[in-house]
Amino acid sequence: MKSRKVIAALAIAAVGVGLLAGCSSSSDASAKDGKVYLTVAPVLPGATADALKALSDRVKEFEKANPDIIVKPIEYQWTGTTFAAELAGGTLPDVFNVPFTDSKTLANNGQLADITADFRKTSTAGKWNKNVLDVATGKDGKIYGIPWGPYAMALSYNREIFTKAGLDPDKPPTTLDEIEADAKTIAEKVPGTAGYMQMTSGNTGGWELATLTNSLGGRFETIGKDGKVTVKTDNPQTKQALAWLAKLRWDDNAMGSNFLFDWSGINQAFASGQVAMYMSGSDVIGSLMQANGFDQTKYGVTTFPLSDSSDAGILSGGNVDVVNVKDSPAQIAAAVKWIDFYRTQPTVDKAAAIKNAQTLKAGNQAVNAPTLPVFDKATWQQNQSWIAPYDNIPTANLKPFTDGIFDQQIVPEPSAHTQDLYGALDSVVQAVLTKKNVDVDAQLKAVDQKIQALVDADQG
Amino acid sequence: MLTRAELTEQAAATGRAAVSRPAAERVRPRRTPITWVRRGGLSKLVFTLPLLVVFGVFSWWPIARSVVMSFQRTNLVTAPLFVGWQNFEYVFHDPIFWVAVRNTGWFALLALVFGYPLPLVLAVIMSEVRRLKGLFSVLAYLPVVMPPVVSVLLWKFFYDARAEGVFNTILGWAGIPPQPWIQSTVAAMPSLVLQATWAAAGGTIIIYLAALTSVAPELYDAAEVDGAGIWGKIWHVTLPQLRGILFITLILQIIGTAQVFLQPFLFTNGGPVDSTTTILLLVYRYAFTNSLGGNYGAATALSLMLAVFLALMSVLYFRLTRRWSDA
Amino acid sequence: MTTTRTAHMSTDRTIISETDWKRPAVRIPTTVLHVVLLLLLIVVGLLPLLWLAKSAITPTQDTLQHPMALFPNGFAWANLAHAWNDVHIGTYFVNTIWVTVGEWAVQLIVATTGGYALAVLKPAYAKVISGLVLATLFVPAVVLLVPLYLTILHPPLVGTSLLNTYWAVWLPAGASAFNVLLVMRFFQGLPTEVFEAAETDGAGPFRLFWSIVLPMSRPILGVVSVFGISAAWADFLWPMLVLPNQQIQPLSVRLPAIASQTDLGVYLAALAIASLIPVVIFLCFQRTFLRGGGLGGAVKG
Repeated sequence: MKSRKVIAALAIAAVGVGLLAGCSSSSDASAKDGKVYLTVAPVLPGATADALKALSDRVKEFEKANPDIIVKPIEYQWTGTTFAAELAGGTLPDVFNVPFTDSKTLANNGQLADITADFRKTSTAGKWNKNVLDVATGKDGKIYGIPWGPYAMALSYNREIFTKAGLDPDKPPTTLDEIEADAKTIAEKVPGTAGYMQMTSGNTGGWELATLTNSLGGRFETIGKDGKVTVKTDNPQTKQALAWLAKLRWDDNAMGSNFLFDWSGINQAFASGQVAMYMSGSDVIGSLMQANGFDQTKYGVTTFPLSDSSDAGILSGGNVDVVNVKDSPAQIAAAVKWIDFYRTQPTVDKAAAIKNAQTLKAGNQAVNAPTLPVFDKATWQQNQSWIAPYDNIPTANLKPFTDGIFDQQIVPEPSAHTQDLYGALDSVVQAVLTKKNVDVDAQLKAVDQKIQALVDADQG
Repeated sequence: MLTRAELTEQAAATGRAAVSRPAAERVRPRRTPITWVRRGGLSKLVFTLPLLVVFGVFSWWPIARSVVMSFQRTNLVTAPLFVGWQNFEYVFHDPIFWVAVRNTGWFALLALVFGYPLPLVLAVIMSEVRRLKGLFSVLAYLPVVMPPVVSVLLWKFFYDARAEGVFNTILGWAGIPPQPWIQSTVAAMPSLVLQATWAAAGGTIIIYLAALTSVAPELYDAAEVDGAGIWGKIWHVTLPQLRGILFITLILQIIGTAQVFLQPFLFTNGGPVDSTTTILLLVYRYAFTNSLGGNYGAATALSLMLAVFLALMSVLYFRLTRRWSDA
Repeated sequence: MTTTRTAHMSTDRTIISETDWKRPAVRIPTTVLHVVLLLLLIVVGLLPLLWLAKSAITPTQDTLQHPMALFPNGFAWANLAHAWNDVHIGTYFVNTIWVTVGEWAVQLIVATTGGYALAVLKPAYAKVISGLVLATLFVPAVVLLVPLYLTILHPPLVGTSLLNTYWAVWLPAGASAFNVLLVMRFFQGLPTEVFEAAETDGAGPFRLFWSIVLPMSRPILGVVSVFGISAAWADFLWPMLVLPNQQIQPLSVRLPAIASQTDLGVYLAALAIASLIPVVIFLCFQRTFLRGGGLGGAVKG
């Protein structure tokens, strides 16, 4: 009896496996019917039904214009702590995004497809700002990806909570001291809410600490004339940044009571009203609406304050859409067409921009999430004016940021072993937020030693 | 793992006594492929094949590979390079390694303190229940039925450190101020162990309950004749009778806690400040969390050390039970 | 009452005897202890589940601000619909069942055929193989994480990566030395006379396996199944590594992945649905479960 059941189960299992094998192999081959199949990754896990609808409309539009390409969008979110497994596993889709910090290394390691030829065919190939395109250029001078959505770090805040705490949401803080004062007020007036919080986990702690350090005029890594990278997180500005956090946490008790946040974790905490102000990319409202269903009328954003130091600058970053190294030439061509359609055209072509904005608006997705220009300020401003009629985030809410950002000096992320460095600094930030009177100097020195060893191993 | 199988040997020994295997004494004809098939060689091979393939590919080969890999530098792109003991040196020089060893030990110790005596006490009390015994068992077993991931995620919310958190609200009723739970370097590990104990205790209780019913009633009767009271019976009959099972659950628990991953990974990702980074979590980090490619050498070197430790534990256990069953 | 209790007693008694029980000094504190224990078990075993059920249908802000209040602002039944339709809990539940059934089947096949070959057919190489299998008992699967992962990426013979196929979780589960040795020992304990009689009747090794050995080994197959199914159900790290395609992930992998991108109310509803099904199955078959758990102890002991 039992054994018969076993056999039956096995038979079912065998059929299931057959089906499964059938499914999994269909996506990687371009093929039999002369069509090119393309898996793309523009959806965050947990995307709302509205977001999926908006995306599906965009896909249909693309497929209509390119009847020989079949696009299959899947969920994907680059995180420093999960990407390697996907890379090693060869399970990445045909088109996926990596941050500015990683694209060059991946390209130089031969892990990305060379898209130079197809990239040259796009209408905007000659228009790119060399500095921006550089992040996607390998040391062989070839192009390995298309940058999009460059952002500057910014201070996001919940306008509703500001009002509740008796603060004016149209006058967000403009210095670190003001952030501290407002955070303290909020923590006192709105119990259970963290006045200010930043990320601490999954390499984001180091990322945000880098932002603070830059804003005070410091740098984690310096490159000598001989090209040698020196890691020095044990610098006055970083210590000043950590002291500022310690003060907010221990003197003002303005950072709430939960201290283990990664990128999506803090987004959720912010969206559910547990955090009033936090530091993130200027475009984060896009994700807040897509994945957390956050009401954008409550959203406010301002530039992250810089100190008076002449070296003070705002950390910026962005994404590069890259193509799977295993793809066929036909797939690479299709992939570049898709990236151009999905990412680039809406920034330069009026019709595409308007079409994109309409779709996003219909799907209740962020139309005017603030980003930095990929080409130049004039193109960017023109683009903003095209989509203005469809803006669905009140422009007044974004004004503190958009007014100030062009006065801020842009600083790129540290270039050597960025994610290792960020990961090592997570612990330091966590220490400051969970333990009183931490020996910050010793911890930073240990980080320097560890990362410098990795850097030297590469160079030596 | 080992422990269970070793015990099955004892269990099977009972059946084995009655059996004598004749096969070995048969006269062997000359060996040719045809006689081999006719003598059942082929069917023997067919029946062994699933085991050979599955163990070969998914056990023996990875074990051999892990030994080799721990002496190599591999990035999956270029050919692996032999680097001698470098991976081990790397692990030993990583300050986090010692932290992880300490944390794993701390987890194991706390798990013993929280989770080892409690199920025994509860099981002994429950075994005396005269009405609704089934209800007691069902209630105790409910947490075990919940998928472990679900229960961790649920507890993660319970551990919300705001005053509005679930546990902090309950503490508030008793006038106790909000606790940081997993947000503090001191409280994080005990909080993880508390959840792990909650999730596992029911299973252990059921095992003890079964063991308690198998204690021969005559032993209690005899103890009563000797004038033993309730405590006397527990001390002189129950505990000695449960000695075997108690020891097994102890070893199983140590082996299990040495591999703890789920709780630190989902609750805290090793934080705050690596206060919950365990050995297996460190293996995972070495191998899988660097966005530009893992340090597979260090990961396998560390795994190998963990495996050696677990093997030693198992051998120790093996020897002790041998000695006991001989005695 | 009294009669059943005495009848019960004659077969199996516990620490406290009937005579002890008649003494109020024993009966009263023990009864109090039992009531306290019952309350404790209700609080610890049942309340978390009830809380989850309540929060699954409570608006997010209520759960965040007043987690222990009972529906201060009414219900949010929509959470359940969202969890089912948007989070697709049903799909992942089916995936979980697939993972479990497959692991269970592979484990049974490898253990029974292998155990039969090693214990009954006894080829010349049986000793060597049992030795090698025994040796792997010392190596828990998790420490093989990396080499096993690389084996899944480039499996010998097959040629294509097994990543994102259920084989990647099923097949390694079969390499359980515990199962093989357990079954092997059991087969060795079966009476040889039966095998000899079957051979005289002209039964070949396949008939012997199918019609005689398997039907006789139901108890041990039950034990292997209990362990196999509960391990498969709980597995997290391994499927997370080898099933990165979210469409085929089991619940254990999917739920943590969406934790911070899902509205809390909907998320708790998803957790509730994910626990409801096993809890209901447990309540329906509680005897089997509890006996299985105890059996685990019996086997372990």
